[in-house]
Amino acid sequence: MKILAATLVSVLLVSAPGWAVLGEYENSVASDQQHMHAQMHETAQQGYSVKELNTTEGRTVREYVSPKGMVFGVSWQGPAMPDLRQLLGPYFGQLQQAAQSRRRRGGPLVVKTKDFVLVSGGHMRAFHGLAYVPSLLPEGISAEAIR
Amino acid sequence: MSWSRAWRRKFIINSLLAAALLCLAGCGGSSSGSGSGSSSPPPPVNNTQPIEVNLGPANDYPNGLFTSVTICAPDTSDCQTISNVLVDTGSYGLRLLSSQVSVNLPADSNNSNSQLQECINFADGTYIWGPVASADIQLAGEKAKSVPVQLIYSPSDPTAPPVPSGCGSGGGTADNTVTALGANGILGIGVFQQDCGATCESSTSSNMYYLCPNSVCQGTTVPIDLQVQNPVPLFPQDNNGLLLSLPSVAASGAPTASGSLIFGVGTQSDNSLGSAQVYTLNTSTGDFQTIYNKVDYNQSYIDSGSNAIFFLNSTTANMPDCTNNPGFYCPASTAKFTVINQGLNRTSNPLTFSIANADSLFSANGGLNAAFNDLGGSNGANTSSAYFDFGLPFFYGRSVFVGIENKTGPNGVVGPYWAY
Repeated sequence: MKILAATLVSVLLVSAPGWAVLGEYENSVASDQQHMHAQMHETAQQGYSVKELNTTEGRTVREYVSPKGMVFGVSWQGPAMPDLRQLLGPYFGQLQQAAQSRRRRGGPLVVKTKDFVLVSGGHMRAFHGLAYVPSLLPEGISAEAIR
Repeated sequence: MSWSRAWRRKFIINSLLAAALLCLAGCGGSSSGSGSGSSSPPPPVNNTQPIEVNLGPANDYPNGLFTSVTICAPDTSDCQTISNVLVDTGSYGLRLLSSQVSVNLPADSNNSNSQLQECINFADGTYIWGPVASADIQLAGEKAKSVPVQLIYSPSDPTAPPVPSGCGSGGGTADNTVTALGANGILGIGVFQQDCGATCESSTSSNMYYLCPNSVCQGTTVPIDLQVQNPVPLFPQDNNGLLLSLPSVAASGAPTASGSLIFGVGTQSDNSLGSAQVYTLNTSTGDFQTIYNKVDYNQSYIDSGSNAIFFLNSTTANMPDCTNNPGFYCPASTAKFTVINQGLNRTSNPLTFSIANADSLFSANGGLNAAFNDLGGSNGANTSSAYFDFGLPFFYGRSVFVGIENKTGPNGVVGPYWAY
């Protein structure tokens, strides 16, 4: 699975094996896909790979996986907020430490802690966001890769 | 399907009854199809609802846009007017803190008498949890009958079922008090007709609607008509959209700004498009395209419920984050930005706005100012997946039209669209 020549490698119906959460190895946990009746695509990029789940309701979740199989970033897009507890795994707790001004209201969320970045935006019926762990970015890969 | 035929039939009969009653008042036309019957439209009603920007009931909400909403138990004169309800073009449907609601609204339940519950997870991580009930909603002279609305459970409401795990999974806190919400409720009057739409009719994946028999909550699908509804398309008239009109404010801000929420687009003399340009939107997201520095930001939107223009990041905007008010921009001197907004219909025009130092704005005038046309903040987005959130600062000094999905506006334009 690590030497993927083409961009689109496989399209398969869930349950997608090897679906992991942020900061864990891709073959560790498989929780999120259970209620996402989704199609999964896997794409190889220079220095990392992307697992993408697409549902018929227009939800997309992507996981960015290092050559060692570590999930270093996730992104999402769709008509409702995803379950970040499932998606972020051990990093979910860092969300609650977000220190934004109380004066900031009704807009996007930006969380930047020492080793965790999350942005969440959009509005009802169109949400999108991403999260990553800077220290887990594969060598030579910038956070811009996560989209 | 969780909704029994009997229950739905009751709903449909109520709808037909309402339609028949409306017809008694307004449908003079014959079914023969000839024009001679002179099917006169219903007489115009007052379509102008006052709105005001102020710090809100918790006294800490800059650029909070508020109005009063009258709700009644359906088909009764048992009514109540609730003030300080946030006017939000970024959501759809009326949500009220149950602590502020004294009128007895009937619950929307299925045939097993299990009340429909809803969770809204917002992008900022906060969430709302509470039951769906029916209310007649009155705004200005417009009245929408038997509208599904959401009531928000108070923190220690003994009748509240436990919050399901998919609710609050954005990591934030519950918007279940005046202090937390900064308002008594939210009036969602954006471009969509329901808060979920077809997705929730066929799937529970959005984690929005639940039934909780014996206090065990499980996701449920909900027919579109029974979802929480934007009340505007349910008005008998002036129902194809609305416009928000706010005055200009000084660059240093103002304690308040009073304006109008006018229902209908091109339906009365006070809501014609005039010189406003129409930008049609992606029909599934309600977004359009913003172009800045030759980069496309194609998930951009206009949201009166966002209290600043949230765009770019400190690096790409070349403005530092504030020290006293993190999350807002604090440029050394006011910065001017010109972007191009473009609709699906290829309407494309430049837009200019300014961003001032938020630390200075919030301390000016003894901290009493609430209305700022130059308040901005980062949305943290990198260049590859980005958007502009045109929040309330965008609204000052202009009329902003909201064209509701599947409703026809002037010159045959069909929503969703914005026009300004």
